[in-house]
Amino acid sequence: MQVEAFEGEEMILNMGPQHPSTHGVLRLELQTDGEVVQKITPHIGYLHRCFEKHAENVDYPGVIPYTDRMDYIASMNNSLGYALAVEKLMGIEVNDRVKALRVIVAELNRIASHLLSIGTYAMDIGAFTPFLHCFREREKILDLFEWTCGARLLYNYNWVGGLSHDIPEGFVDKTRQFMAEFEPVIAEQNELLSFNKIFIERTAGVGILGEELAISYNVTGPNLRGSGVSWDLRKADPYCGYETYDFNVPVGQGKFGPLGSCWDRYYVRVREMEESLKILRQALDRLPDGDVQEKVPKKVKPPKGEVYGRTETPRGELGYYIVSDGSPNPFRVKIKSPCFTALAVLPVISKGEMVADIIAVIGSIDIVMGELDR
Amino acid sequence: MKEYFRDIFQSIWTVLLGMKITWKHLFTRACTMQYPDQRWVLPERSRMRLFNKIEDCIGCGQCVRACPVDCIYMTTEKRTKDEAPVFASDGTPIKLRVTQFDIDMSLCCYCNLCTYPCPTHCLVMTPEYEFAVYSKQDFLYRFAKDKPVAPPKPAHHTPVPEPAK
Repeated sequence: MQVEAFEGEEMILNMGPQHPSTHGVLRLELQTDGEVVQKITPHIGYLHRCFEKHAENVDYPGVIPYTDRMDYIASMNNSLGYALAVEKLMGIEVNDRVKALRVIVAELNRIASHLLSIGTYAMDIGAFTPFLHCFREREKILDLFEWTCGARLLYNYNWVGGLSHDIPEGFVDKTRQFMAEFEPVIAEQNELLSFNKIFIERTAGVGILGEELAISYNVTGPNLRGSGVSWDLRKADPYCGYETYDFNVPVGQGKFGPLGSCWDRYYVRVREMEESLKILRQALDRLPDGDVQEKVPKKVKPPKGEVYGRTETPRGELGYYIVSDGSPNPFRVKIKSPCFTALAVLPVISKGEMVADIIAVIGSIDIVMGELDR
Repeated sequence: MKEYFRDIFQSIWTVLLGMKITWKHLFTRACTMQYPDQRWVLPERSRMRLFNKIEDCIGCGQCVRACPVDCIYMTTEKRTKDEAPVFASDGTPIKLRVTQFDIDMSLCCYCNLCTYPCPTHCLVMTPEYEFAVYSKQDFLYRFAKDKPVAPPKPAHHTPVPEPAK
């Protein structure tokens, strides 16, 4: 055992695993000098559920409920990546209705995920009211999902080759109604939280993630865009027909303080919700007819081979590497998790911050331990 | 100095802006539901409690194979030729006697994968959501009614007469 020498009055402080602001069970070992954090060591694995090993023991459709349970806040996006990867392996081309519906549910879930993210972030910082506003809106999306596929969080909706259900009668109108109600809420949130002076003072200038650093640590999603890098897989490597939708990729601008601060990452999420609404509006307008289960194979048995499929989830780039040996069960399923890379950069960006600011930094990188540990 | 006072002013002003929204919401309708008094009407597709209409179950075992968490336990035995033929409500002949159809609801992951392949649609997820029990054992739902046919008793063992001395 190696004993490290303490310099001056340093103290080891354990944060977690049952800390409310760690979004799951994450333990951080802080080496503090007074109130300044010198070193931060994340300990992960408290939520490890052997997803990758378990996926080898169930058949291909049976993996989908497990992918839902990885990032349980954005299940639609998780299962979408898996379904797309297996479809690529089997050479299935789904019809336009399936594509459009996948875009609709993925964007609705992106809004729900960002709402939870910014709501809990506000609560971490100390503002309780925005959390309630966000959850009220999120509840409406979950109701829509429950109406569509029967579950509120773990949907099992995106199947290999199609969807489990077509949308119910009146779904389009209900979604439009939700969007009309939701749009003013974003402006309200901005007034209530985003441009609140106390919130800005608390988050801008904290946890600076520079452009170079973000790229070298393979940070993806809103965390990367918050650093000013315009990289979104929906634009860079489109799937599900995202290339046909007109939307912008919001990036951080460093409006208050340096670029890549917690506030930039937070605000990218707020603006992404607006862009998601834009995509939703177009998708609902052009929703084509068709059978959603047209291409669902009776027995999912891909040929021998391997495939890598990646999608843009609300947390970043989620990749599935699937190896098939021609049997009904996958030979190997490897996940490239966006939260894992985001947590890897946490010790770097939070060095030299105050203990209270660590909470702000963790909240701003928006990790979900279910996906990180899998 | 000027900046100091500007910061104070901005803090107070933005908090007041927030308070305006909070006050506005004081006069909007509450969106919470007083749960035990008011109950939610769940949509038709809601996936809550599993139910098997055992009269229609033909014992094909497709649900058992589809379940990703293996929470359905089924044993069947062949009906003998001389038994009266039984049909499910959609006319499918039932050739197997389902002697055990147990679902451990505490293991179920509510993915609904078991109900899709069911040929007679007898296994369904119901929108019923209040099924808490006091004991974990009570989550093992036993649907089967048929008892296994008792195996034929072995012929009476006749004691071998002791050899005469």
